[in-house]
Amino acid sequence: MNDLRDVTRRHFFGGCAVGLGSLAMASLISGNQGASVSAAAEPDVLQNPLQPKPAHFPSKAKSVIFLFMAGGPSQLEMFDYKPKLAELNGQPIPESYIAGKRFAFMDSSHKTNLLGPKQKFQQYGQSGAWISDLLPHTGSIADELCIVKSCKTDLFNHAPAKLFMNSGSGQFGRPSIGSWVTYGLGSECDNLPGFVVLQSGPRGPRGGAVLWGSGILPTSYQGVPLRNTGDPILNLSSPKDVNSDQQRKVVDAVRELNLKRLVATGDQEITTRISAYEMAYRMQTSAPELMDTGSETAETLEQYGIKNPNESSFARNCLLARRLVERGVRFIQLYHTNWDHHGGPAENLDQHLPAICGEIDKPCAALIRDLKQRGLLEDTIVVWGGEFGRTPMGEARESTGRNHHIDAFTMWMAGGGFKPGFVYGQTDELGFGVVENPVHVHDLHATLLHQLGLDHERLTVRFQGLDFKLTGVEKAKVVRDLLA
Amino acid sequence: MRPMKDFSRIRLRHWQTRVLVQKSSFLNAIGIKPWVMLSIVFVATVARAAEPPLPEKIDFNRHVRPILAEYCFACHGPDANHRKGDLRLDVRDDAIKASAITPGQPDMSSLIARVFAASAEERMPPPESKKQLTADQKEILKRWIAQGAEYQQHWAFIPPQKVEPPVIAGVDQPIDRFIQGRLAVEGLKPAPVAAAETLIRRVSLDLTGLPPTIAEIDAFLAASATQPESAYRDLVDRLLESPHYGERWGRWWLDQARYADSNGYSIDAPRQIWAYRDWVVNALNQDLPFDEFTLHQLAGDLLPGATESHRVATGFHRNTQINQEGGIDHEQFRVDSVFDRVATTGTVWLGLTIGCAQCHDHKFDPITQKEYYQFFAFLNTQDEPTIKYYGPDVEVALLTQQFKAAQQALSDHVTQHLDQLVAWEAMQTDETKKTLAAAVKTAIGVAADQRNFSHKRTLYAAGPGTADETFKTLNKALSDAESKLNDVPTTLSMAEMKKPRQTTILIKGDFTRPTDPVSPGTPALLHLFDNATGHSNRIDLARWLTSRSNPLTARVIVNRVWQQYFGRGIVETENDFGTQGTLPSHPELLDALALDFMERGWRLKELHRVIVSSQTYRQASVDRPELLERDPHNYLLGRQRRLRLDAEIIRDVALTASGLLSRKMGGPPVYPPIPDGVMGQGQVKRAWTVSTGEDRYRRGCYTFVFRASPPPALNVFDSPDGFSTCTRRIRSNTPLQALTLLNDGASVEFAEALEKIIRDAGIPAAFRRCTSRDPQPDELAVLQALDTRSAARVLLNLDETITRE
Repeated sequence: MNDLRDVTRRHFFGGCAVGLGSLAMASLISGNQGASVSAAAEPDVLQNPLQPKPAHFPSKAKSVIFLFMAGGPSQLEMFDYKPKLAELNGQPIPESYIAGKRFAFMDSSHKTNLLGPKQKFQQYGQSGAWISDLLPHTGSIADELCIVKSCKTDLFNHAPAKLFMNSGSGQFGRPSIGSWVTYGLGSECDNLPGFVVLQSGPRGPRGGAVLWGSGILPTSYQGVPLRNTGDPILNLSSPKDVNSDQQRKVVDAVRELNLKRLVATGDQEITTRISAYEMAYRMQTSAPELMDTGSETAETLEQYGIKNPNESSFARNCLLARRLVERGVRFIQLYHTNWDHHGGPAENLDQHLPAICGEIDKPCAALIRDLKQRGLLEDTIVVWGGEFGRTPMGEARESTGRNHHIDAFTMWMAGGGFKPGFVYGQTDELGFGVVENPVHVHDLHATLLHQLGLDHERLTVRFQGLDFKLTGVEKAKVVRDLLA
Repeated sequence: MRPMKDFSRIRLRHWQTRVLVQKSSFLNAIGIKPWVMLSIVFVATVARAAEPPLPEKIDFNRHVRPILAEYCFACHGPDANHRKGDLRLDVRDDAIKASAITPGQPDMSSLIARVFAASAEERMPPPESKKQLTADQKEILKRWIAQGAEYQQHWAFIPPQKVEPPVIAGVDQPIDRFIQGRLAVEGLKPAPVAAAETLIRRVSLDLTGLPPTIAEIDAFLAASATQPESAYRDLVDRLLESPHYGERWGRWWLDQARYADSNGYSIDAPRQIWAYRDWVVNALNQDLPFDEFTLHQLAGDLLPGATESHRVATGFHRNTQINQEGGIDHEQFRVDSVFDRVATTGTVWLGLTIGCAQCHDHKFDPITQKEYYQFFAFLNTQDEPTIKYYGPDVEVALLTQQFKAAQQALSDHVTQHLDQLVAWEAMQTDETKKTLAAAVKTAIGVAADQRNFSHKRTLYAAGPGTADETFKTLNKALSDAESKLNDVPTTLSMAEMKKPRQTTILIKGDFTRPTDPVSPGTPALLHLFDNATGHSNRIDLARWLTSRSNPLTARVIVNRVWQQYFGRGIVETENDFGTQGTLPSHPELLDALALDFMERGWRLKELHRVIVSSQTYRQASVDRPELLERDPHNYLLGRQRRLRLDAEIIRDVALTASGLLSRKMGGPPVYPPIPDGVMGQGQVKRAWTVSTGEDRYRRGCYTFVFRASPPPALNVFDSPDGFSTCTRRIRSNTPLQALTLLNDGASVEFAEALEKIIRDAGIPAAFRRCTSRDPQPDELAVLQALDTRSAARVLLNLDETITRE
């Protein structure tokens, strides 16, 4: 046995001038075989799972901020201006629009009438984009936005639809887009996770942790929620009675003993563990520093509409998103609830929709301006949208609201090589369906990946004999019309 | 005897490694004392000089099928609807008829013309597939056609064959003969047997999920110093009889059963189905043969004289999610759960991706969409009752009898004293009636001759019973008997519908688009479905799955067991034995194990015993230069492999090392401490009231798992999410794991307990509790330089502590 160790020791370390040290950065992540991230990359070369990796082709963008409006915002009160719908308010739904279609809440949706938009609209900027009075700040940055009015998705219940928007599938167990992107590109930040999730609003998004799960990819790629209270990252703080010197000594001793074990066994997995402990230790400093917005100017805070920088809000999360981008974090997702305006208690279109628009309008505009001012917007894609939109007909509950709608809804992108000041796609005059330039969720995903330098057909992982990809089985397309 | 497989994966590599020692500029910048960190830069130059030469004699399964499956079958395979150019290459006659292949004449074969075509438009596979054949692959196809273009059935669909293992001097065990025979071909030798302390820790963790106690280690070291073989044999016997065996291997099965304690989707309400978990643990401890184990879980309710245990077992397929979101169409999610049951059955027993044929004919394996829905039909005709769970120790008949007796006694008493009731009732006025409890009011409103026992009991209790001690005693006895009979946990089960639902093919898997009706059946590519009984229900399905003529089930199960011991299956794609899966590294060994498993009556414990008794299992895991060079990924098993422990076992090891572990088995899941705020991730914030007493320190497999907000300390170490079947856990290695072991409240508690042990017994003792071995002097020196709390924390954070070596 001792002989064996000596042999190993000699082999691994004997010839190395630095003494302890010929280390191979290993990930050896089981289940990761056959990853076809890049044709150039040797698939089983061992490396830190989050180390930056070459893209498939030169990229336009490096980071993504996905502003996820959880619950399904009403495009008809925000972006998709429908004078005809106003005209026909209260009229029965023309049968031709809904024949053969299914909706959520079939019972309460049936036999209801068309519901005219509840808001006034005006045109903004050079592009003349129609945006409602609920979003004046968004209107003021209209010329930065690439508004897509013709989005389509497949599923009309919240949890499956959120999964679909995140993973391209309503089935559980598929990697979310943030996981795909960090899997494909790694992260340029070595002291924070590569995929970060921030939440605001009265409740967590329906679906929970699976929305940022890594599915069949290793958990190294799953989204890490930054928490609003307590430690920003779970278990980030050292135990209460442990000071930073003790913590450092513990981490050092773990490293030293792990190195000895590495020498004894030659198992490169230990190398990965050593580097994981180092990154964990760095995160203990870098994450609180990230969350500390004390260095931001009063002007910046005011621009985002942050009243109390220590209080969790969508506005504060937007500011944190910018700080994350500055630090090289690859994928940042903000969830804000609750956009589910059925007309039930706390979900009506008359008070609650304007209120939540008020919560997001100023921060969204500030984020875009702030990124631009700092020169970050050109390589950051900002995406705004929910899991679906809402129906042109009303839904009678406590008040009249709108039901889930998957055939036509609005999202917007900004930065990252998307055409600024551009409105794309047309819905019919009542907003039931897309009549021009449909953009399916899979197309959107393909386009986002494309801007990041990833070919959605090559970003695959082999599982159960199939090459899984974000964009599913049916052919998805990069929507080149949207790109500058 | 089939020829030994060669390993296209194993390539000679020349590793050129280099290290950079640098200071962390980041830490410098933020003013933390700069420390030298190892920034690990890895430069690998891959020498491709040793690519395997092109084989002279082409073997269809080994050389050709992988190429066709990867590059051709998606458009020219079994899926009729997506077939391009009306050409299929998976059936020889069709390929010949279409002139794609002319046996013996590559020049007359359009397949060859197309793959060698110079122009991109002509060339196959087409550019939009983003796939290209290498020169070698093209040459293989050419040679194969020149040699006659013989096809073979896919290896996994041919029943296992008995093959005599190679003769190796001094080696007896078939496993070792197959493994060492293969190593010898490469000029490699197995590793020596691992050190005794490594061995006892390895086999204890593998069989029971718990590390050995110090006393167990000492006893084994002493015994194996003189009689290593018998000491090891006795150790294995003892571990296989340990009740903790059922917990460790039960969790292996629960992964596959996608077990968790909540309903999933967005509402994710808690559910009670832990009785099923206990059933699995007990069944494995009793070594219920795997064919019976299968039968009970898939069809227990249908068995003649089905017992509670049989019904509890059917919880296997109740581990699907339930969507409680508003506005849903329940049929949609019911159908989704049946899809999941079909896919799970296919993956777990057959190692096949049957689920792929849900929307279309399978693209790679010959399974039609119609066959999919025939399989679906078995699982589409059930009700899903929630049943009471009394457990194996309770005699329900006796409880019922006691209840009836108590009821009779009380009834007799009331009947005998009916005059007192009449008298009491006569005294009631409209005023006094108003003050009576609701139930009493109802009862008094029923005409005297219409009253049932319950009415009389209620009235008597409110009236004369208040002063009747005998009544009080009898009444309480009845309440107790009632409670014992009715206030019991529940569990989820299956039952056949009285009027079965008609199954139809669903276009594109869409439940709103039913078409042709189908009846239950199994894919034609596999062994015949024995329908001698005239009916086709889940019993027949279970028997078909574990039939001796099934080429898959036994292979799939032994492979999945093997994978636990070596970190990789003999078939690496443990969940896909179809044409897209990888070929077995040791096909004859796989077959030998599968045949042996069936011949020994599907006894899992015997399978475990055979594997852990092998020299192959018992070798050292230390890597060696010649292995690193010739077989860097250890496909040939010239050594054991260090494996990071499963999430639950990491907890179990820390609990054991720190002396906190409760060995209590079974019962409702428990709530050990978790960080604040983690239950608020989903739509509904779920309560997490931390368990008290020993339930705070139960094994990881008893922790309550909410699917939408899984316990972080388990989740971070890759415990499965329970959304779909998990046949192999990923072993990730991340900074969040480090934060968990360093800082999590539970870790702190374990460290405090281990610190006490350091104070009482010293660092070497604590070191042994974590690693089962004595520390080296230099290791001890590192730990002694720390305060006791820090030393305890270091020990619980060691890679070795959370690794099976």
